Amino acid sequence: MTSPTTVQNSQVQKKQRKYSPLKEFWKSFKKQKAALLASIFIGLLIVVAIIGPYIAPYDPFEPDYDALLEGPSASHLAGTDEYGRDIFSRLIVGAKISLMVSFSAVFLGLILGTILGLISGYFGGWIDKVIMRSCDVLFSFPDLLLAIAIVALLGPGINNVIIAVMIFSVPSFARLVRGATLNAKENVYVEAAQSMGASHVRVLWKHIFPETISELIIFVTMRIGTAILAASGLSFLGLGASPEMPEWGVMLSSGRDYLGTSSHVVIMPGIAIFLTVLAFNLIGDGLRDVLDPKIKNN
Amino acid sequence: MNYVKKLVFVILCTLLLAACAEKDNSNASNTGEKSTTESGKVSSKNELVIAVNENFISMDPHNTGDTNSGSVQETMLEGLLGFDADGQIIKVLAEDYSISDNALEYTFKLQEGVTFHDGEQFNAEAVKANIERIMNDESLRLYSRGFSLISNVEILGDYDIKVTLKEPYGPMITRFGVAKMISPKMIKENLKDIPKQPVGTGPYKFVEWVQGDHLSIEKFDGYWGGGDRVSKITYKPVPENGSRVAMLKAGDAQVIYPVPAQNIDELSNNKDVEVNKVPSTIAHYVSLNTYKKPLDDIKVRQAFNYAVDKEAYIKVVNSGLGLPLDSIIPSKTVYYKQQKMYEHNIEKAKALLAEAGYPNGFDIEIWGNTNSDTMKGMQFIQQQLGQIGVKVEIKSMEEGTLSDEIYGAQTPDDAKLQMWYVSWSAYASDITNATKPLFHSVSFPPNGANTAYYHNTEADQLMDEANSISDVDRQAELYEKLQEIVYQDTPWIFLGVDEVVYGVRSNVSGVLVNPTGGLDVKNAKVE
Repeated sequence: MTSPTTVQNSQVQKKQRKYSPLKEFWKSFKKQKAALLASIFIGLLIVVAIIGPYIAPYDPFEPDYDALLEGPSASHLAGTDEYGRDIFSRLIVGAKISLMVSFSAVFLGLILGTILGLISGYFGGWIDKVIMRSCDVLFSFPDLLLAIAIVALLGPGINNVIIAVMIFSVPSFARLVRGATLNAKENVYVEAAQSMGASHVRVLWKHIFPETISELIIFVTMRIGTAILAASGLSFLGLGASPEMPEWGVMLSSGRDYLGTSSHVVIMPGIAIFLTVLAFNLIGDGLRDVLDPKIKNN
Repeated sequence: MNYVKKLVFVILCTLLLAACAEKDNSNASNTGEKSTTESGKVSSKNELVIAVNENFISMDPHNTGDTNSGSVQETMLEGLLGFDADGQIIKVLAEDYSISDNALEYTFKLQEGVTFHDGEQFNAEAVKANIERIMNDESLRLYSRGFSLISNVEILGDYDIKVTLKEPYGPMITRFGVAKMISPKMIKENLKDIPKQPVGTGPYKFVEWVQGDHLSIEKFDGYWGGGDRVSKITYKPVPENGSRVAMLKAGDAQVIYPVPAQNIDELSNNKDVEVNKVPSTIAHYVSLNTYKKPLDDIKVRQAFNYAVDKEAYIKVVNSGLGLPLDSIIPSKTVYYKQQKMYEHNIEKAKALLAEAGYPNGFDIEIWGNTNSDTMKGMQFIQQQLGQIGVKVEIKSMEEGTLSDEIYGAQTPDDAKLQMWYVSWSAYASDITNATKPLFHSVSFPPNGANTAYYHNTEADQLMDEANSISDVDRQAELYEKLQEIVYQDTPWIFLGVDEVVYGVRSNVSGVLVNPTGGLDVKNAKVE
């Protein structure tokens, strides 16, 4: 009588051993063709950003006054800009700046926002009120306007752009995490942990924070797209990277005088920004389809 | 899958749009050329339409700061003196004039038989009324500098008048060219209409001015100078570069000013159109703070001048429109003398820098406004100085902030400025304004624009002497010496002089642009 149950049990155990959240995730994510394509693109972009300086066909800073504003050709794949610099090389090297700025801004925002959100949702009361009302204040400004104001205060420069983009990301993260925390707090295992005398930090970190991860992942990918746009926008306005840097927004800005005559100077960095932001948004959408429990239930 | 479709759709749409844009462009230029020839035939010999880039601000000749308003006034109003195509002083309503040796008394003998458009006679009384208006009306001070220095206006006869100054003022002669004569009747009875419909003695008289749309003038039959000219001229402000070019191509305008740099090639290949370039008095330079390290060393400053390729500067930053600045003043300025230019020589520059004790270069800041041309210029300087190991950091500031930062410094010690990318323009006939505010030690900020904090006692003396005499030959001698000294001392990186570009239909002749950028169509003809 006992043997069949043991067999069943071991089968279940086998099945359970086979089950891995990552595999499960991969199985459903594979089906999101657009998101998959976008991930490959971003993956390549990250590789390019890392090895960029070694593979760029020209020095992105080296002017060539005999080859001003040349259109795309075999020797200059994306043409040359108003100083005769190779646009393709500048885009490659610029990928690093754009990704670096957006990643660091978003991750800094993520860390700060998550901490604030956890505290706010978990403790409630006046702390919650102070944090959430402060977020409301930040929310009441349009994103880019807030960033412009912050950079205007701190002075132009790429580091200040990171800070500005970070600051306008914080309230979104805080609100998201707070919502998830409020939900998770009601779970029985949280109550159990509390009644067993676990410290606040332990409860927050071990039991509540993991509940917010899936939503955070989706939000981070979406946010990176926004951050790239914002950073490029600030640079376009002359508030970000210094004018000689091959930052995409800067390239767009300095090329706009030639829109009518040598449009490739603007179109090339435009395409780079467009594709990158689109890719991050597609990945975000794909992740949401896979990870968001609400959508899964439907 | 849905996304892939959407993505493909978006990309296709973008490509399609881009393709359309290309096509549209070529269509536009084709039709443009067609209608040119058609309407070119139709256009009357007696009418001229001129499209300019900005709106007119005021028709009051004693209170005008913008070039376009000045250009229109030039057709209706005349001064005692005026300027020729090179910007040099000529006699207009003054038949003759003389300046006393101490440069204090200006005596004019006036043209006889000149009438204003309203029938008033032009005589010494009319001149006195005009000069006194400028002297006494405080609101005109901004644009009528110099007239505040007049101590006395004396009528010597019906057509003779003497003006006495409190102290010598070199640019005064230019001021007499700028200040145009308004009918004394208008000054007495109708002062408030001067900015709207001025009455002068010029070959054209005012017809109407519809704000933002057009300003028209017609031939004045009683003009004292006579001459055969077009009977009607209409000025149209067309700020959009593309529209202005299209108007010229289509024959809707016979003259456009200025021609956008990017359209020069295209228009030069059009046989119905002529494109003309004129050197201006707008000089571009980088002022180097000679008071502080490391630019206090003349070797460093000379190295900078050798490191910068002026030809490339004009090509890259000015779209090929311009000439190298080969003295401390533009070639159109009076008493200009060409200097031996600092040729582009990286090796020499590096050697000089090493001699000065900076074999590996140094870090330095360049300041400028946020204008896109300035940004381009500063980046160019950054690239050029980078070749000799000097690392330039670009700081572009909004104009007001920049001015506060520079002119806020009360003493040379306070100055934080190291290099400033900037330009300067003075009347071609006004060498005082082209030198004293820039190179004299009394002109250190905040008193003047000597932002290089350049101080050379000999140069100061030369300027002081030249400014206090009226002997033209001696002045020429002094200013030639000055140019030599200052150019050697290199308080600037000498860059280039702008060229201004205007376009006319090929059947139009007699259109000129003077070095300050004023359009002169008084003697234009249509064939």
